[in-house]
Amino acid sequence: MTRNGVATTLDWGKVKFFWGEVAQNFTRNVTMTLTSMGTVAVSIVVLGAFLFARESFDSVVKNVVGQVVVAAYLKDNVALPRIGQLVAELRADPRIDGVKYVNKADALADLRRRLRGQVNLNIINTNPLPNAIIVHTRNPADVPIVAGLLRSRPEVAVVNYHSATYEKMVRMEAVLSVIGLGIIVLLLIATALIIYNTIRLTVFARQREINIMQLVGATRWTIRWPFVLEGTLSGIIGAAAGLVVLWAGYRVLSPKIVINLPFLPLNLAAVPVGHLALELIVIGALVGTLASLVSVSRVMASA
Amino acid sequence: MIVFQDVSLVYPNGVHALSAVNLSVARGEFLFLVGSTGQGKSSLLKCVYREVRPTSGDVVVDGQQLSQLPHSRVPALRRKVGVVFQDFKLLHQKTVWENVAYALQVTGTSSRDVMRRVPRILELVGIAHKSKMFPQELSGGEQQRAAIARALVNNPLILLCDEPTGNLDPETSSEIVALLARINAKGTTVVVATHNQAVVDRMRRRVVRLTNGRIAHDEERGRYHVGLG
Repeated sequence: MTRNGVATTLDWGKVKFFWGEVAQNFTRNVTMTLTSMGTVAVSIVVLGAFLFARESFDSVVKNVVGQVVVAAYLKDNVALPRIGQLVAELRADPRIDGVKYVNKADALADLRRRLRGQVNLNIINTNPLPNAIIVHTRNPADVPIVAGLLRSRPEVAVVNYHSATYEKMVRMEAVLSVIGLGIIVLLLIATALIIYNTIRLTVFARQREINIMQLVGATRWTIRWPFVLEGTLSGIIGAAAGLVVLWAGYRVLSPKIVINLPFLPLNLAAVPVGHLALELIVIGALVGTLASLVSVSRVMASA
Repeated sequence: MIVFQDVSLVYPNGVHALSAVNLSVARGEFLFLVGSTGQGKSSLLKCVYREVRPTSGDVVVDGQQLSQLPHSRVPALRRKVGVVFQDFKLLHQKTVWENVAYALQVTGTSSRDVMRRVPRILELVGIAHKSKMFPQELSGGEQQRAAIARALVNNPLILLCDEPTGNLDPETSSEIVALLARINAKGTTVVVATHNQAVVDRMRRRVVRLTNGRIAHDEERGRYHVGLG
């Protein structure tokens, strides 16, 4: 490494000084450090629990909406080749994910199987069920469009996709998504403010020290770095502690929730736990870093 | 070395700390700044190390107009200007050695230089044998010596002392002022704000009296009270 043409080597004394400052910041006021880490941990537990519940609820709603299919019941006089042609056309449509043809004999057999022991279908000697095509769209939003398309076909007698229920579900999904996002934003703001205030207290407790550093000619970043790193580490350690609590809660509570509260529309297995944990650690680190940076800059500006 | 050009300072709360101060301190000079509390002594010193900025007028330190000095260059100015306070302002969690070394370390001095300069400066102020102690384990005089060592370790051109003997007994006060005189003899410009009459009268150096933020009197080889020489 060279600077101004003069060969320089890594000065271990300087490295030791820098990390010594960070370590000293950490250990000097253990109560304060633990308080700020605890605040981060508690905030992360609250935020994490909500994010987890939302993810699992979200996946249920998406799953339900995703299961909506369009059933097109065909007129009895449509010949098999034309049905084949219709199915092929539908399969070529990029919006459509799957097309299943159910002929009337299969439909009746299916009905018999489902109603076995409940209703005696032997009294029916003709098959009243129509041939049907069941269409599944890639995007639930395309359901009404595909239904309209099918309705306009001369081969089709009736199209059914439970439109009223479908629309209610889509609307509910949108509303829940907005509410969930709103709550997450509010929780994030609250978390950030709580962490900021705690870290601000730890920085303000050292106002005298920061002023002395400024007096002896320390540059702004020389003063900031140990505090900022302390904030980052507090954020990461606090978030990790919060995650341990969340993980324990998840292991202990999730089987009980599934067994004891089956009516809750949660799909715990669908939550990307690893991804969520990473997000929470990043949130902890970011908020810790920013809170320290803002606090120390404010103390320096007031000096 | 230090020039005040028509400097006035009004604090945000409306207090007029300095009014049209014109003052020139030569390189290597020793100057006492006297006056009772609240007359503007500390404010005048603060203008030199850019803790506050004059409301009008300008301060020139070592040829640099401080009104033109960008914020990022203030640390560089403070390395040229050592400051000593009545309450010492030492870091309690660091030993004497660490307190003094700190002033070098935060300026990016190599550890070899730190190891070389700190013992030398502790020797100069006479507390080399206390280097491993913490400030709270020292007497007031020793703490002030540690503070002076920290102010000097960067080889500043100017040493500003704000009531350096305010918390010390008369004997220790004399020792501290004698130390400041020795430092001045090595070429450092020294400005001491004080209301310690005995010290000023014994030293017979230049005395500038501030009254209500104005320079009321400026005398070479002066005394604390005017007209007693």
